[in-house]
Amino acid sequence: MGWRRAPSAGHRERALESVFTSSPATAGGPIIDFAADESCLAIEGLSLAYGETPALRDLTLRVPRHRVTAFIGPSGCGKSTLLRALNRLHDLNEEVVRRGEIRLEGQDIHAPEVDVAELRRRVGMVFQAPNPFPMSIYDNVAFGLRLQGGLRKRRIDDTVEWALQSAALWEEVKDRLRASAWTLSGGQQQRLVIARTLAVGPEVLLLDEPASALDPISTLKIEELIRNLKSRLSLVLVTHNMQQAARVSDYTAFLQRGELVEYGPTQTLFTNPRLARTENYITGRMT
Amino acid sequence: MRPFLTRRRGEGPWPWLAAGSVALSLSMLAGLLLLLAVGGLGHFWPAEVSEVTPREGAPFAGIPVREERVVGSERRERLYFTGNLDLDGERWRWIPLDAIAALEAPPELVVLERRRWGDFLGHLVALEDGGRRHAGAAAWPALEERLATLETLRDERDHLRDAVVAPLVRRLEQGGDPAAAAELARANARIRELQTAMQGATLVLESVDGRRLEQPLAEVLRAWRPNAMSPPQKLAAWGRGVWRFLSEGPRAANSAGGVWPAIFGTVMMVLLMSVVVTPFGVLAGIYLNEVARQGPFTRLVRIGVRNLAGVPSIVYGVFGLGVFVHGIGGSLDAWFFADSLPSPTFGTGGLLWASLTLALLTLPVVIVATEEGLARVPEHQREGALALGATRMEMLTRVVLPMTVPAMLTGLILAVARAAGEVAPLMLVGVAKLAPQVPVDGEFPFLHLERKFMHLGYHIYDTAFHGDDVQAAMPLVYATALLLVLVILVLNLTAIFLRHHLRARHGVASRA
Amino acid sequence: MTDPRQLRRRRLRDRLATLLITAGGVGVVVSVLAIGVFLAWEVVPLFLGEGALAPAELWQPQPVEGYAEPQHRWRPEPLVAGDAVHYGMAPLAWGTLKAALWALLFAVPLALGAAIHSALYMPRRLRARLKPTLELMEALPGVVIGFVAGLVLAPWVERHLAGALALVVTLPLGAVAAGGLRALLPAFLRARLSPGWAGLWLAPWLLLVGSLTLWLAPALEAGLPGGDLRGWLEATWGLDVASRNALIVGLAMGFAVIPGIYALAEDALSGVPASLGEGALALGATRWQTLWRVVLPAAGPGIFSAVMIGAGRAVGETMIVLMASGNTALMSLSPLEGLRSLSATIAIELPEAAVGATHYRLLFLAALLLFAFTFLVNTLAEVVRTRLRRRYRRLEGSA
Repeated sequence: MGWRRAPSAGHRERALESVFTSSPATAGGPIIDFAADESCLAIEGLSLAYGETPALRDLTLRVPRHRVTAFIGPSGCGKSTLLRALNRLHDLNEEVVRRGEIRLEGQDIHAPEVDVAELRRRVGMVFQAPNPFPMSIYDNVAFGLRLQGGLRKRRIDDTVEWALQSAALWEEVKDRLRASAWTLSGGQQQRLVIARTLAVGPEVLLLDEPASALDPISTLKIEELIRNLKSRLSLVLVTHNMQQAARVSDYTAFLQRGELVEYGPTQTLFTNPRLARTENYITGRMT
Repeated sequence: MRPFLTRRRGEGPWPWLAAGSVALSLSMLAGLLLLLAVGGLGHFWPAEVSEVTPREGAPFAGIPVREERVVGSERRERLYFTGNLDLDGERWRWIPLDAIAALEAPPELVVLERRRWGDFLGHLVALEDGGRRHAGAAAWPALEERLATLETLRDERDHLRDAVVAPLVRRLEQGGDPAAAAELARANARIRELQTAMQGATLVLESVDGRRLEQPLAEVLRAWRPNAMSPPQKLAAWGRGVWRFLSEGPRAANSAGGVWPAIFGTVMMVLLMSVVVTPFGVLAGIYLNEVARQGPFTRLVRIGVRNLAGVPSIVYGVFGLGVFVHGIGGSLDAWFFADSLPSPTFGTGGLLWASLTLALLTLPVVIVATEEGLARVPEHQREGALALGATRMEMLTRVVLPMTVPAMLTGLILAVARAAGEVAPLMLVGVAKLAPQVPVDGEFPFLHLERKFMHLGYHIYDTAFHGDDVQAAMPLVYATALLLVLVILVLNLTAIFLRHHLRARHGVASRA
Repeated sequence: MTDPRQLRRRRLRDRLATLLITAGGVGVVVSVLAIGVFLAWEVVPLFLGEGALAPAELWQPQPVEGYAEPQHRWRPEPLVAGDAVHYGMAPLAWGTLKAALWALLFAVPLALGAAIHSALYMPRRLRARLKPTLELMEALPGVVIGFVAGLVLAPWVERHLAGALALVVTLPLGAVAAGGLRALLPAFLRARLSPGWAGLWLAPWLLLVGSLTLWLAPALEAGLPGGDLRGWLEATWGLDVASRNALIVGLAMGFAVIPGIYALAEDALSGVPASLGEGALALGATRWQTLWRVVLPAAGPGIFSAVMIGAGRAVGETMIVLMASGNTALMSLSPLEGLRSLSATIAIELPEAAVGATHYRLLFLAALLLFAFTFLVNTLAEVVRTRLRRRYRRLEGSA
């Protein structure tokens, strides 16, 4: 409980300035580039800090459309921070300061006229641990739809079924849609959360270590689901599991200490990394 | 292209209502504190006296109090405190603003605080003292000088009365003692001497509309000329007023004077209560958290204790009256004080019973705070001590309890703050409107647990609701309320600070 | 080597101390819990033996001299010798509940609104300061609040009845209007007036709205038939306006119970695992939708227990009711009439009641009722709260 005066916005801007200039960005690894019409998300010079602690430094990268892009790196490298920046979940934490731009389909997501709720609907997110709401399976999936309001029951029913099928969960739960979501197993819960997100029709799906709390079989199911989903939307996956990144993703970005070290096609990055830092991490020589 | 990000779904009016309730709560709190501060502190400021000349009727002198709209019309009227109860038969006067022809503030207007009849507002004509007459400009300096002399005389007399005569009288009541009788006679003679020295001088006063009045000087406590005072003088007078309020006893049926006996009574009661509640509360807390087997029964007891904090204070008062006053007190009287029955000694409300009742009332606060403190001590600290071969008691006294001291202190402070503000139970177990003697004096056994005592909170209630002229007592009630609130706020702030300090030191709870 | 004698001494000391603590602890716990037993013990003789009271005498209307219909009447001591006494406690119980009801009507929306605002919108630093501030509000003694309510507020409301009633409408409207007006402001000003700090910057705005209301109220009142609100109320609705009335009590006691309800409700709301709220936000819910559909249902039991504890406090509060209610034992629902509560009756009458007499025991019965009610309500609230905490832990555990 600080009785200190909360620093003003201007003060914090200056603090951010000093945070980032005192340790100049050293990133300069090769960066793959996509044409504007191939990418859905574009990150330009993004820096982010929690109070005085920098988390991301001057990041620039583009996320391709209808592909799976993985962010890998040691824990604390800022990959989850980056993911949460993409749908502005950091808005909830007043300590976070940011510089730089993120564009969704060419539009700056921080522009004052942007509606955060609408942004989050279009950029869906699945968290590390499954977080179904304390209600029935059906209500969980219908939750986002009902937020929009004005939809008919029939239409909601159809979308729920479609979303559950897309998440490969329909067969397992179709007979107990009214049961509490908490009766599902961990893997099922996570697929339910994915179905819930799909139901509102996002263009981008952010996955924050979606399988880290699950057993191997459930993990495989989720991975298969991710591969199947890319025909419909763009996916961004954060994982600490390199095998998973190699199995699932098309492109991989390696982050270290808040900087983007290397970004390229997964195949290339894993077999023939350009930088020694990347190779060290991938081959496990990382200290 | 898909619909763009700007489709804004507003959150509606609800968030603003929620924010508004925070704003309103805070405004109410600030408003209450401001009201008390202004009402309480403003009373001691020597306010200017206006000479009001109405369009019709005689002029009068008065201190403006407040303004109101006349119900059912656009006109406003102002309330003046005019004093002069002996001349006018009242102390207040409402006058519509448009009925005032002229307003002046002549510097020579005096305000006298008198023992009878309350304040006088008007002109000082002369001071007559044994044939000598100081009139005109000489009257005021003479009055000031004479009042200073009177003050010393009065102090000596009061001291004699309280510290010498009263104990002697009590000694005589308990059995003849020739030495005491002689001493008493000597003291009484000196008092009479002082009384005569005070008599004699007379003031000639004149109200603004020209009515004359002869005022014995001995009845005058203080005099000031607010319109002639400079701001530093007023500030000094304000300071003296605050000091008198804190250090003197009440006068005029509690509607004037100070609150010293009430402060003293409150502090004594709270001290006694702390002495009782701390060991028992801490013992019970340790028992529940460290000694008792943790199970459904302990959990039930814990819920019970916690909920006793929510039992209304008046219920504790009833319990105290039934058990302490009539039960234990009645038995004590029957065994030890049978000769003074039927007039009760311990069988009636008193300091001891009030303290015990409040100790019971605040026990849950101390127990809960102790328990929270104990729960905050990490389990590995206990295991560490036990692993070194300490017995459980040694582990408790050397490792765990020292870490819990701030928590217990926090609990005690919160208990004191709660007890200082409680009035309802005291009304049943021993508070008095006006206690003739404070519970501590130079007479054996020095601390008189059976006596009734005065209390700040009850003083507020009694003065505000049972006085003759509530309007006149209001400033004093404000000041008392402000004092009580300040004491409680300071205590609570200390507790908050301690608790914060504690959390910072031990981090988050490690054993929920 | 440890000296075995010393070891034995240490062990003995350990056992002795444990015994002492146990004795002390059990003694305290038992004696504290004995309160209810003692009160019941004192009350029982009322209903036993010679001259026992029938419960109907207490709770049902009884014939009263001079009235055709049976009446509820509380007059435990004869006014003049030989006068009949009436032990109808219904008006007192009614007055207690009425005072608590009006207090909760005022306090619950404010406290829950404040809890929601601070749990959802407020920056953490500000919240860390708001909580102790409201704790201070809780610490204000009832006698001070009662004094301000009874001697300052009541006469003021009596003079400005129209304005005071208008405030109930204009203040919420003002808060909503502030939100609407903010949307129209230029961007740089709008950024200054962030919703997170609205709890602070709305205060001067509400003050302005309030003063405007009070300034305009006389003109509005003049528009009523007769140009006088009190006359109009009496003529149209048959409402009698007492200076010290249930509205004043509700306001003052509401003020006293707001902090308690706020603290518990805020705990319940901010205890909801963050993952639930984030899940809803990630689906495109606005903050208010998140609150309404996910956080509130999850925290529901906690909020219920907060309200319960507030009700317990309101029922038992003595000084505020004593000083602000007028203490007239009426059975009316009108907010503008006075009331007399059980607690105030005890405080007024018990010092003068003869020990052991029926009146004395009836007042003990009143205390027993208060004790039982608050103990039950608080236990219920505590049990619900414990359950909720376990549920949160499971939510987080499953997460």
